[in-house]
Amino acid sequence: MELDAFRSSLGGWLDGHAAALAPGHVGAGTLDDHMAQLANVKRLAYDAGWMRWGWPERVGGLGGSTLLRAYLAEALTSRDLVDPGLYSMTEVLAPTMIDYAPPGLAATMVPRLLRGDETWCQGFSEPGTGSNLAALSCRATRTDDGWRVSGQKVWTSLAQYAQRCVLLTRTGPPASDHRGITALFVDMATPGITVRPIVAMHGREEFCEVFFDDVAVPLDRTLGEVGQGWSVAMDLLPFERSTALWQRGAFLHLRLEQLLAAAPPGTLAPDEVGDVFGQVYALRARSRATQHRLAAGQRLGPETSVDKILLATAEQAVFDLVAAGLADGMLAGDDADSERWRAEFLYSRAATIYGGSAEIQRNIVARRLLDMGADR
Amino acid sequence: MDGEERELFEKGLRHATANHTGEALDAALDTAPTTAVGVVLPPLGGWDAPGRVEGEDVAVGGVGTAGLRRHTAAVVVAGTGEGHVAAIVETARLVLRPVGGIDPVLGIVEVAAGRVPRRDRAPAPPAAWPAALAAGQLAIGHELVGAARQMLRLARDHARERIQFGRPIASFQAVRHRLADTRVAIDAAEAALDAAWDDGSPLTAALAKAIAGTGARTARHHCQQVLAGIGFTTEHPLHRYVRRTLVLDGLLGDARSLTRRLGDDLLRSRRLPAILPL
Repeated sequence: MELDAFRSSLGGWLDGHAAALAPGHVGAGTLDDHMAQLANVKRLAYDAGWMRWGWPERVGGLGGSTLLRAYLAEALTSRDLVDPGLYSMTEVLAPTMIDYAPPGLAATMVPRLLRGDETWCQGFSEPGTGSNLAALSCRATRTDDGWRVSGQKVWTSLAQYAQRCVLLTRTGPPASDHRGITALFVDMATPGITVRPIVAMHGREEFCEVFFDDVAVPLDRTLGEVGQGWSVAMDLLPFERSTALWQRGAFLHLRLEQLLAAAPPGTLAPDEVGDVFGQVYALRARSRATQHRLAAGQRLGPETSVDKILLATAEQAVFDLVAAGLADGMLAGDDADSERWRAEFLYSRAATIYGGSAEIQRNIVARRLLDMGADR
Repeated sequence: MDGEERELFEKGLRHATANHTGEALDAALDTAPTTAVGVVLPPLGGWDAPGRVEGEDVAVGGVGTAGLRRHTAAVVVAGTGEGHVAAIVETARLVLRPVGGIDPVLGIVEVAAGRVPRRDRAPAPPAAWPAALAAGQLAIGHELVGAARQMLRLARDHARERIQFGRPIASFQAVRHRLADTRVAIDAAEAALDAAWDDGSPLTAALAKAIAGTGARTARHHCQQVLAGIGFTTEHPLHRYVRRTLVLDGLLGDARSLTRRLGDDLLRSRRLPAILPL
């Protein structure tokens, strides 16, 4: 299907099913509310076919350009039907499975993720391993029939809901850095896994600590080659900055428009409004070019760090403007709208921290795009 | 223009812009028939048409490129109150003041005239002036991006070669992050310009010009700092790009004014334009 045809027929479907797709909650909503809403929208969109376009047929998709996926995410977000951060896990983890899982496993599992029957999480960061991901120490030891995993992950989004986890483990010697890492696809129901949610600043149990105590993982759950987990991680990261990022640009565009409608007269300075709109526009222009490169089959790489930096900067700028324009509600409002604005403002503070901090992104730009050599 | 002609044109343009500036560049580009008549641009900082129709005459206030003096006639787009006309005036009737200013090499001239007779009264189609302005803003936006990339290249090369504390200053994170931010600002400006060509509206052209002006400011700020002492001398080429981008930012609307105007419009309409479809 072509993008234009997809755009118009999807629009008709969304209008026709507005009641069935509408969120059951008002205002900020709990994380449970958002997860239930996400599952509902994905199921309806999958069963109607929309959620299958842009994915390969071997994993239950209907084929077609990745632009269709990007547009679906944009359309759902522009109608405020899904939380873009929760939705984006699909866009990040499904491509990884398609590229690295044994074909049979990908064919079984990916449709469950697309349809919203399952939630997956991504076990990367550890207490001692934030920006320096290659130093991770969660250990997987080979047994006769697979792996035994022991260690700890942290900042694992949605682990408390997840049936599966894409997990990075240390399989080489402790100091083997990026050379001794292996990626595994782990069932979260396996004995030995303990999940402890952490309440984040914006009031949601956004992420978790996950403890692995001698957890058995079958050998056929290895993603990619043993010792090649770093490539899995590096190939995954650009997906965080492709379709998912286009969706987040649509989210910022929507919130900025809602802010203009809601802010009392005189609370917003014209030069700031112009500047923030320009930032969102530049982000969307950059991300749009990235979507078209991805759709043309180009391999995304370190240049997507530019997209990520633009996103993080624009997101905080939008919500700084929210804090200025809706100051009364942000500080003292206990109505549903104020609660949502406040939660999203607070969440935006993490935009320069998660998914590779602002500093790490700038290091990547300096080393990989500007060829400035190593920083040590 | 077919592919081969376009290639030749591009080659010629590249050669001219790489080897000439100011009046010499105007002369080099004058082989193109489109520049046979001079053009008066809006005054620095502004984007309103440079002329105003007054009866049979036109009042002129704007700037021109160095080559304007060599033309016998110039086009002055002039507002009538309702629309615009493209008036042809005799260059000899205009008061031209060569502008030294911050970038004397550019050689622009300030153009003024109380009232001069206009030869051509054909009204321009309603969208002609906004479209011409938009094309000019995009062209200058790309020039800003080019100059900013050049500043970045100079600063990057310096950072890799300059040794302090026993290692290249490119290894210090404070230096790296300045240049990374410069790269991001330039890439953002280029993406905004490319998208504006696709979009084709005056709004996105003005926006992209503003983003390019802001990006060039970021590049000036960081590259000047990284190039430090040598970059502050006239023995190093940086100052040329600093000067040039300051004037380019002022041509057809500077970033600050364009941004504020956009903000005013958005606050008045309380809506965002639906632009940039995937």
